[in-house]
Amino acid sequence: MSHTDPEILALRALGETAGTARDAEHAETCPRCRAELARLTEVVQLARGDGAGERLQAPPPQVWDRIAAATGADPVPVSPAAAAANGTSAPAVPRIRPRRGLRTGRPHGPRRRLATGLAGLAAGLIIGIAGTAGIVHLTQAPATRVVAQIALSPLPQFPQWQGTAGTAVMRATASQQLMVVTLHAPRQLGFYEVWLLARDGVSMISLGDLNAGHTGTFIIPPGTDLHNYSRIDISLQPFDGSTQHSKTSVVRGSLPAAALGGTTSPR
Amino acid sequence: MDWSPDEDVAAAFSGGQPDALALVYQRFGALVYSIALRSLRARSDAEDVTQQVFVSAWQSRSSFNRGRGTLGGWLVTITRNKVTDALRERQRDSRVLLQVAGGAAVTAPETPPDHVVERIVLADELAQLPESRRLVMVLAFYSDLTHEQIAHVLGLPLGTVKSHIRRGLQRLRSRLEADGVAH
Repeated sequence: MSHTDPEILALRALGETAGTARDAEHAETCPRCRAELARLTEVVQLARGDGAGERLQAPPPQVWDRIAAATGADPVPVSPAAAAANGTSAPAVPRIRPRRGLRTGRPHGPRRRLATGLAGLAAGLIIGIAGTAGIVHLTQAPATRVVAQIALSPLPQFPQWQGTAGTAVMRATASQQLMVVTLHAPRQLGFYEVWLLARDGVSMISLGDLNAGHTGTFIIPPGTDLHNYSRIDISLQPFDGSTQHSKTSVVRGSLPAAALGGTTSPR
Repeated sequence: MDWSPDEDVAAAFSGGQPDALALVYQRFGALVYSIALRSLRARSDAEDVTQQVFVSAWQSRSSFNRGRGTLGGWLVTITRNKVTDALRERQRDSRVLLQVAGGAAVTAPETPPDHVVERIVLADELAQLPESRRLVMVLAFYSDLTHEQIAHVLGLPLGTVKSHIRRGLQRLRSRLEADGVAH
């Protein structure tokens, strides 16, 4: 009997019901295919972990200075590429702010903005090192359900973004709602920021910045009225120190009715 | 098979080229630092360990044998050792403190948990994939989309997505095994 197609094994490792019943039976009974499936399943379980994946974080610049000093290497700054790095991201803490007017409590000057942006590029936001709870759940599937899958598309008035695309997958856990955002767009100077837009077209909530892999998982602030904040927008933000939307929208999409289950207060 | 720029970095390193350490740091700095940070949970300790790992790697570069394993795996091993040293030192400090305070401390020496290292190595390898392939893997792992839906969302042929998934999983698995962190 021929062995199970490796592509089918890979999909089965991801939890999909790929292939025929015969494939499934073979993968169970053939020692070679069963071992291969186990090898790949372990990768999937490790990668999924607590549902967010492990983050790479770049060391701060002074670490290279010290290494260069100790080894006589050229101290020209080197930034480890946690950058191209992060395929995944832990939930970033959302910041709520109106388009203009009040700033949040944290300092937001140009330096800080640049620093945040660069950190985003270099490593993305790391969710507390204290976030160790996740490692306990290595073999468990994430306890979230998908509420909606939203395709994000470029707007007609921005011809330069034609060809880009994104997805936003809204997931709910028992206590919160998450937005898993992926953007397929060229790397640009600046950074991509994810927003919820209100119906008035003026008010907006910043969910956070995409990492250098152009992905991000964001907590939708509890209490958000999704009937009002019903559109998702990704902007390209310059490093200009402004916390406001740059008015350069890359892609946009609307929450489907199924996702508008009132506010996101915990159930 | 996939071309691996890591081979070039390893070659430059074992050849002792002057800028090789910078190359190695650029490629593996985040891997080493992330393992240290997750194991030690203190930034300053993680910075110290990262420094120790690269300084020690540079000084002992002649003992790195490209035929016997990957540079990434070698650095992961050094990182584990330095993390273990840091944890021992921490334990010694707390024992002294406890003795001063009149108590006795007997706790088992800690080592960095394997799954932490494995997961960070996976994240590192995922990051090495070309953009479109990484996107397929990220969606496959974290979005709950099926491969058909991924193909639809990304506008890729179904066969391409299936192939990316198979090759992606294989490559991640190979990296775990090559770096000696798989069980």
